[in-house]
Amino acid sequence: MEESKIQSFDEETQKLLKSALKEPNKVDLEILSKAIVDKSMKDIFICKDAGPVCYAIVQTEAKQCNTSVFRRKLLTRLQQEFSAREETRKRSIQEWVCVVTFICNIFDYLKVNNEPMVALVDPIYDCLFRLARPDALLNDEEVNCLVVQLHRVGEQLERMNSQRMDELFYLLRDGFLLQESLSSMTRLQLLEILEFRASGWTLTDTAQHYYYSEVVD
Amino acid sequence: MSYHRNYRHNNDYKADEHRSKGTSRYSQSRKRGSDGNLRTHGDSEPAASGRNTKDHRSTDNRHPSFTTPESQGPVSRIRDWGDEVEADEMRTNVQRDIQRYRRRILTADFAQRERKTSSGSSDSRDSRDSPIPGDIETDEVVLMRRQKQINYGKNTLAYDRYIKEVPKHLRQPGVHPRTPNKFKKYSRRSWDQQIKLWRVKLHAWDPPAQDGHDLQAIEEIDLDDIMDIELDVECSPDPEADAVSPTSNNASSSNDSCTATPSKMMKTDETEMA
Repeated sequence: MEESKIQSFDEETQKLLKSALKEPNKVDLEILSKAIVDKSMKDIFICKDAGPVCYAIVQTEAKQCNTSVFRRKLLTRLQQEFSAREETRKRSIQEWVCVVTFICNIFDYLKVNNEPMVALVDPIYDCLFRLARPDALLNDEEVNCLVVQLHRVGEQLERMNSQRMDELFYLLRDGFLLQESLSSMTRLQLLEILEFRASGWTLTDTAQHYYYSEVVD
Repeated sequence: MSYHRNYRHNNDYKADEHRSKGTSRYSQSRKRGSDGNLRTHGDSEPAASGRNTKDHRSTDNRHPSFTTPESQGPVSRIRDWGDEVEADEMRTNVQRDIQRYRRRILTADFAQRERKTSSGSSDSRDSRDSPIPGDIETDEVVLMRRQKQINYGKNTLAYDRYIKEVPKHLRQPGVHPRTPNKFKKYSRRSWDQQIKLWRVKLHAWDPPAQDGHDLQAIEEIDLDDIMDIELDVECSPDPEADAVSPTSNNASSSNDSCTATPSKMMKTDETEMA
């Protein structure tokens, strides 16, 4: 599984990745985490592969060296990106969307003793709330990011803090009902996610299409 | 390989962002702000609230380095994700350890009772190694603190070399260091002392110093711990002295408290949760 994920990175990063997966203590994990995050910020498709790759590195490092340097470096960098998200959004919607996608990916894949990382729950909610604001609902990219991430990690997030999920959905419902300038695609997506959650986070066929939208055309 | 904890005081979070911790948690999910108006967005506070949103998690104005003697050290008000995740991991590890340990002593306890009734003799190792199942340390704060101390010791080159050199089944009590059992009830003082002694003993496996002799390495190391220990022993019998040098098992002092204590301290119990 990892082999194909690794291929999506460039040559140099691939080399680093492969060595890290064999002998983590021989690789500069800070450089590696920086490379992975940098590449992911530029390319939404890499974002999606980054999760399992990072998980593999974390596991390997834990097993072989009994340390968690890579995870720490990764989280620190993510936290920086999170803190700077409003500036990032002003600069580039695509990058902002990558930040959110990446953080959600990490939340999804990097479990700690089989539990999601509690530390990421509120930051992710913060991001989703930002995406649900009226100015963001006008952008297809942001709406898309919002619904995709909710499909992916919504159930887990709700389990860890249902009150914030309720509030988020009030916003989404209000947006759908009250905001006038939304595109029809956006309205469709919002409606779908409202139904999706209402039916207990079950995948409908439409949702399936969006969730696994990494099919290469 | 030492355990780094960086508490960074980044003021990265925007003033209007909320983290759902402490008293902010419920305000975040309230439909109305403190001024009674409906909250339109999940992530902004009505301006009129007058709350100090810069550092809303602190309800007092303590300096970030404020710490009580019983706390685990300075607590950064701005959480560092790396720290949080590591703390979480340690907590879940400790909880898992409790379950394992409970199962282990229950089965061991059961097995020993069987033996006792048949042989009629009591194994002196019972009372030491198998505490009554109900009487184990379960306070998470205590267990986390103890686990951290154990981690400091295990993250050393000496420990690595030790476990490679001496497999568990070849370890002799008294000669080989044993990791203190974090689940047994000990006083704070007693526990801290066990840790100290354990770590001192581990130094015997330090990577060779320049002369290449392991024993030399112990004497060359300038440890405050060792200095304290030696002074306590050389003083006139002091009932307070529960600190004894590992090299002076047969204390020259004939004081009972001095000779009794070393042997008690030496037999630190071990729970190696593999």
